[in-house]
Amino acid sequence: MLFEKFTDVVPSFWGWLNQGPLTLTIFLHTIIILPMIWLYFKEKKRLNGK
Amino acid sequence: MSQNQSVWTSIRFWRQSAAWVTGFAVILLILLTFDTIGQITMGTDADLKNGITKRVPAPTVINYHIDYKYDQKRGHEVPVIGKKEPFFGKEWSPKEAKELLHLGKLTSQAKNCMNCHTLLGNGAYYAPDLTKAWIDPKWKDMIAMTGSKTKEEAMVKFLMDPSNNATHGRRMPNLKITKDEAMGLVAFLKHMSSIDTNGFPRGFSKGVEEFKAGGTYAH
Repeated sequence: MLFEKFTDVVPSFWGWLNQGPLTLTIFLHTIIILPMIWLYFKEKKRLNGK
Repeated sequence: MSQNQSVWTSIRFWRQSAAWVTGFAVILLILLTFDTIGQITMGTDADLKNGITKRVPAPTVINYHIDYKYDQKRGHEVPVIGKKEPFFGKEWSPKEAKELLHLGKLTSQAKNCMNCHTLLGNGAYYAPDLTKAWIDPKWKDMIAMTGSKTKEEAMVKFLMDPSNNATHGRRMPNLKITKDEAMGLVAFLKHMSSIDTNGFPRGFSKGVEEFKAGGTYAH
């Protein structure tokens, strides 16, 4: 199952995060990759502007 | 010249990325730690009286009947704290229960139960997993073997002289456990059995038929 039902005793954002492999993967990739894209273009602009 | 310079070879880019990932991971781990602390904090006697479910109930859970029920939604068995039942023939106050449990914990460490047994996922699998030992239906045989009236009494007799009450070829050695220590251990094990471990160990204590029916072995 791609998305698993939330089944924790105490419902919380962190519990949701740890439910299945997919939710955690999407969350971590979003949070890590998105700023890196921004960093990439910032750096490209800086290098090319020299 | 600088028009074709690649960002992938830029040390600055990688340094900033590493700083971001490390910093974010640190924050996430700190937040997850606090979330975990909240989830594993022991409940209180009032929680038990008011029927509030906690992953780790108060020590006074030894005054209640502990059962398990298959939860369709969660896909495994969950603890059900039932009606009150005497433990060693009496009801234990929060202070007494805490002290008894503490003695049991210290004894389990002093006698190194984990050298052969598993407790909450820690230890060995030479001897049976003790995480849900309290609700093991095999204690019924021990009640008969030791001529006891209750399960806790039978467990104490077994713990004080395990090698002469063996039910398996791998005999537990006599660890010179005193009666008080044995009572502490039984309380420790009963409390441990009431902890919601997300269904660990899988399918404990049940036959396939009982499991399908969603019921338990218990009375």
